[in-house]
Amino acid sequence: MVTKMPEGETEPVSLVTIKEPVDLIRLSVDERIYVKMRHDRELRGRLHAFDQHLNMVLGEAEETITTIEVDEETFEEVYKTTKRTIPMLFVRGDGVILVSPPSTTS
Amino acid sequence: MSRKEALTQFIQQIHGRPVVVKLNSGVDYRGVMACIDGYMNIALEQTEEYINGELKNKFGDSFIRGNNVLYISTQKRKGV
Amino acid sequence: MATSVATNPSTLLPLELVDKCIGSRIHIVMKNDKEIVGTLLGFDDFVNMLLEDVTEYESTPEGRRVTKLDQILLNGNNITMLVPGGEMPGE
Repeated sequence: MVTKMPEGETEPVSLVTIKEPVDLIRLSVDERIYVKMRHDRELRGRLHAFDQHLNMVLGEAEETITTIEVDEETFEEVYKTTKRTIPMLFVRGDGVILVSPPSTTS
Repeated sequence: MSRKEALTQFIQQIHGRPVVVKLNSGVDYRGVMACIDGYMNIALEQTEEYINGELKNKFGDSFIRGNNVLYISTQKRKGV
Repeated sequence: MATSVATNPSTLLPLELVDKCIGSRIHIVMKNDKEIVGTLLGFDDFVNMLLEDVTEYESTPEGRRVTKLDQILLNGNNITMLVPGGEMPGE
């Protein structure tokens, strides 16, 4: 997406669209995105809207919560994930760590 | 005073270069710097997520919210 | 006089001390018990810092982890203390 262009050369459209990081979010509106949140929460959902704080409205969201449980006998740490779906969700921006358009997510 | 230009220059130079972004949580993101803003919000390409030094996830593009960022490092030497 | 403190030549403002560190080694203590040592190349109004030849010290459950880094832009948000001229104490 970002390549050095010689002076005077016109940039392809894809290069013009991302000038600041928030443009990446702007391009993801109406797409299904992946959001990594604080406290081991992850969200996948359709991005309906966002603002400068990264507050977001996600539709058809799936929330994944990862917890570590220690087995009482073996003291082994077991990662447990809990999932739930939420039809419409407001996400407060301060909990957001990372946002990725899922088309580019493996 | 304060050599603010040094930071400005660094930010201009790292566009398109491989970087390591370390978060306060200790998670590392390796990727190619697409752009950065005044909040230290970062857009990375070919992002790899390392937790405890292990590759856990890959993203084509990713946006990292600046408040989580501990540092941005240029990748000449590797971790010991 | 109200301006006497500011004009007193013996008074060093905190950020003037940081300014004097430019070009020399500095030891940074972070809020989350991380410590960073490096050569200070510059800083801004938020005390975000550009550092070179950096060593990062983290304490983990497995013991202390040391990472060498070439150049970093350090977020000023989580800095607690700056020690001029410092290598890591106890090195």
